[in-house]
Amino acid sequence: MEAVRNALDFSDFPKSDLAVALVVLILLFCFPLFSFSAFAMATMIQFFIFSLYGMGWNTIGGYGGQVDLGKAQYVGIGAYTTMVCLLRWDIPFWISMPIGACLAISWSFIIGYPLFKLKGHYFAIATIATSLVLKDLFEVWKFVGAARGLGILPYKYHPPDFWRLIFKEDIYYYYIIFAFFIVGLLYMNWFRKSRLGYQLRSIKDNEEVARSLGINVHWAKIKTYAIATAFVSIVGSFHAVYIKNIEPEDTMSLDISILIALMAMLGGAGSLWGPVIGAGVLIPLKSYLKEWLGATAGLLGIDLILYGLIIMIISAFEPRGLWGIIEKKRRRRRS
Amino acid sequence: MDILFASIVSGVLIGMVLALVALGLTIIFGVMDIVNFAHGEFLMVGMYTGLLTAQATGMDPLFALPVAAAVGFALGILCYAGFIKFLLRGPMIAQLLGTFGLMLVLRNLALLFFGSEDRALHHGLLVGKSFDVGMGVILSATKLATAVLSILSFGAVWLLINRTRIGKALTATALNRQGARYMGIPTERMNMLAWGIGGATVTIAGALIVNFWSVTPYVGLIFTMIAFTVVALGGFGSVPGAFFAGLVVGLIMEIPGFWDFLQLTFRIGWMADVPMISFKYTWIYVAYFVIMLISPRGLFGWKQ
Repeated sequence: MEAVRNALDFSDFPKSDLAVALVVLILLFCFPLFSFSAFAMATMIQFFIFSLYGMGWNTIGGYGGQVDLGKAQYVGIGAYTTMVCLLRWDIPFWISMPIGACLAISWSFIIGYPLFKLKGHYFAIATIATSLVLKDLFEVWKFVGAARGLGILPYKYHPPDFWRLIFKEDIYYYYIIFAFFIVGLLYMNWFRKSRLGYQLRSIKDNEEVARSLGINVHWAKIKTYAIATAFVSIVGSFHAVYIKNIEPEDTMSLDISILIALMAMLGGAGSLWGPVIGAGVLIPLKSYLKEWLGATAGLLGIDLILYGLIIMIISAFEPRGLWGIIEKKRRRRRS
Repeated sequence: MDILFASIVSGVLIGMVLALVALGLTIIFGVMDIVNFAHGEFLMVGMYTGLLTAQATGMDPLFALPVAAAVGFALGILCYAGFIKFLLRGPMIAQLLGTFGLMLVLRNLALLFFGSEDRALHHGLLVGKSFDVGMGVILSATKLATAVLSILSFGAVWLLINRTRIGKALTATALNRQGARYMGIPTERMNMLAWGIGGATVTIAGALIVNFWSVTPYVGLIFTMIAFTVVALGGFGSVPGAFFAGLVVGLIMEIPGFWDFLQLTFRIGWMADVPMISFKYTWIYVAYFVIMLISPRGLFGWKQ
């Protein structure tokens, strides 16, 4: 009960922030009622998916300051578990999702234990390496469809199927991921005020001091890594049933890992709203740039050039992200 | 037995050029503690420079090396002055993601200008020629020339760093930035020089590699990872370390060959079923992980 009350307690934010957040939430809730194009709908679902990934990354990367660039491997574990369970044994989503999360968490403990002995750049590159090893394995593993991946044929089931999460219309997916999003947001609100949350922030500030205060630094990092993993793998499972066709290349590639880190980083790592803001800016920008410049104008790769330029500008001039800019403005006004 | 010798020779030859690829990364890391994710993309730029120069002028691709070096030097300086300089003030995550942004930009610029198809050199003095050395080892002329030229370039940079005033200033900056500045060394310019040398060496390596490796805009990532592994094994910031580690990583890349050798010599049935060739690069990632766990400083590292 205490935990629930803490999760619902947003009182340490200024009133104006909460008002904005509430308005945005209501708008998001009403979004499918306005008849937008299917493209806009798909973009919004991507926005939710990536803001959840970003929230997961934010626990270890934002609050903990450990730059993890290997999150895509857990997207892959979650997505593949759900897919294999559904196709081979007809296990529905709501059962295969926890299984996938458990598998992902076990894997995160196995590699997290050695990984967190490393620091800084070494840690970041090692996470990339583990992620790529797993991707290479999946690319030759016949059981999971090797490089061609796996696909659901929706007509085999009877949509709308709430048990397996197979629908024809995106609106169902929208509200399900919206519910995930709210839960994720509340969890993050609880997390940042939890014991582990405070421990992590002290680790980020100064590891030696944190250790001298009696925090088990290594264990705290591993635990948080598992939490981040659970987030990512659960959303990965959703991604699998939503996209219905997964390959190692588009679930586990380095680009996905970087994108996940980028959501939190652009919005403001280590803040509650950071990943949401980041995903809200980046995902629509990415898909519309791709649509207008890539597909319509026929300029291959120009969307990714602009995208890369944004990353460069943000990281060079405002490493604390958009939330950092807002906070800076606020502080100036106060003083 | 033939396979074993062929694999070893091939691994050693490719290892020489990998050492040159990693040299730039280790210099840059040594001087300013920044890991350049765009390193493989610099190599890609070098490959395209070599290829296009050779095709445009009709000269042998080996003569494109100076052009590639000039392009790489300019690119390195440009990146430093226009971007990295600002990045260095930020936290580590900003540096990592920032160079990743640079990588995206370079890769997709290449995609925009050159298209996504594979391109390879089909003519040249050495392309396609090879000699039989005996014992089943067939040396391709391009790989041999690449290895020799890589050693020469590597040696030149080593001399530059160890035997000239500029090199000493560079080393001093790497060892102690504050102290170097007090001694009157323009550390800012040294950073820029490190990026210039780093860019030039890696583009030379690219122009060499293009002799036997086809180029696409996506070729960079694998070389970035290879370079990271070489640098990790040799020790971040160590120049001789990069050389020896390059050899080792070259041999690691030949693991499928050794696998075939074991399988054929001892006739182990199940080994034939493993598609080891698909794991050609996986061993590099595994090697990075293992090296980091056993000895984060690498063989010759001095930076923590």
